[in-house]
Amino acid sequence: MARLGFRRQFAYPQAALWGLLTNTFFGVLRIAILVALFGRRPQVAGYTVQDAITYTGITQLMIATLALFGWYDFMRAVHRGEVVTDLLRPHDLLAFWTAQDAGRAAGQFVLRGLPMLLLFTVAFGAKLPVGPVLTAVSLLLAWALSFAFRFLVNSAAFWSADAVGIGRFAWALWGLGCGFLMPLAFFPSWLQQILAWTPFPGMLNTPVEVWLGVKTGHAALVAVWTQAAWTVALFWLAQVVLARGLRRLEVAGG
Amino acid sequence: MDRPGTVLLGHLRLYVLLLRAQMRSQGVYRVSFALDAVAAALITGLEYAAFALVLPRFGTLSGWTLGEVSLLYGLAELAFVLMDLIFGGFDAPNLSAHIRTGTFTTFLLRPAPLPVQVFGSDFALRRLTRVALATGILAYGVSQVAVAWTPGDVALLAGSILGMICFFGGLFVIGGTLTFWTVDSVEAMNVLTYGGRALISYPMDIYGAALRKTFTYVLPAAFLSYFPVLHILGRSLPDGLPGWAAFVSPVTGPLMLAAAFAFWTVGVRRYQGTGT
Repeated sequence: MARLGFRRQFAYPQAALWGLLTNTFFGVLRIAILVALFGRRPQVAGYTVQDAITYTGITQLMIATLALFGWYDFMRAVHRGEVVTDLLRPHDLLAFWTAQDAGRAAGQFVLRGLPMLLLFTVAFGAKLPVGPVLTAVSLLLAWALSFAFRFLVNSAAFWSADAVGIGRFAWALWGLGCGFLMPLAFFPSWLQQILAWTPFPGMLNTPVEVWLGVKTGHAALVAVWTQAAWTVALFWLAQVVLARGLRRLEVAGG
Repeated sequence: MDRPGTVLLGHLRLYVLLLRAQMRSQGVYRVSFALDAVAAALITGLEYAAFALVLPRFGTLSGWTLGEVSLLYGLAELAFVLMDLIFGGFDAPNLSAHIRTGTFTTFLLRPAPLPVQVFGSDFALRRLTRVALATGILAYGVSQVAVAWTPGDVALLAGSILGMICFFGGLFVIGGTLTFWTVDSVEAMNVLTYGGRALISYPMDIYGAALRKTFTYVLPAAFLSYFPVLHILGRSLPDGLPGWAAFVSPVTGPLMLAAAFAFWTVGVRRYQGTGT
């Protein structure tokens, strides 16, 4: 299933090329804003200018992998009734969708993420991960956590015929909460404290800070453990919500 | 009956009729509509909020205060969302959907002018929340900057908005026309339209000379709002440009739009020629 999802991403190479161009253009604009904000300051909230550039590179390259601008695949399957066909398969439905999204994410990472990483490293001097292994683990958890969150949002389709609006809402909040719009460390402390109680930072901000070495040693391990704990919690919640949704579907289906 | 005024009035009546029909249909699912409307504003609202929340930690954006940036940001957002309301039918994804589903052929068969029908085909009422938000950001910017507002300044801002509506509307028309040939053009145009909007939402001196000059002399986006705002703030224009360069926005935009519609006419003629 994952392999199929992976291969499917290569069906439209031209779209990927345009996507790369768009992402780079917006990346350049975002870098300009951050560099202008820094001015002559060597460091702000643990970030150097080079860190801020690298942050932009990482967030831009993860847009497609994490589907940061929105993901409605499962919602569509519920609305069209395809989810019933999926139920006939001999696998667990959540595992089936997880595998599919793992393939999709990996495909996007190879197709769009890696070229972007190369570009940002060569052209803008983005940093490579301080601790590659822990960064890779953190990135993987960020994907898993983002998928569980996306799946939960999509599950609204069981209860509402027009859950797209709920989705748009969720993606907008996600963009701010996960640190896509700005590094969370730059926000006022009250907002950082609120966000620390949500799973959002684990979906992007944590791997960024581990990558840059803003968090190292013990602090980095705690951050990654928090990601893991949230991942388990959200997957459990997704399983519960899915079971309820399917029961509702059966009732509605007669 | 054939006087130009009467014809134009007839077109306007048709346009209003098309809008009313769509407004009624969009009002059917109230909850979904309300959610969509709030979400539409939330995306821009949070992007602006993220910048506004972060700015105090840094002080200024290369000498620009939050009020001054809000002026630029609010102008760009207000003009872009108004343009989106008016020109939404020409946006490449919408128009290519009409072409694929065959509604575009229906437009051609109807005894009403084609542009009027396209203008009236995608009026997304939910964007009105974004108009309100953009107006709020602009009003905040106006109230925060140390400017003794004169009627001339107000006219300059209004002209800047008008110029931007025409300019980005022209880009939408070009993008829509390109879909007659290929659907791949969609993403390329997005760089210019949404990218252009993002570009002029911040003071352009932060982008470095190469990027700024490209968007001044190749694609004249800097004339639309950056130069007018520089003039209102009493700052000099870059590259030693003369003061009147701040006033050409109401000319740049319509010129772009006229060129775009000339291209559109060529595209439509070719499209009919294929016999689809």
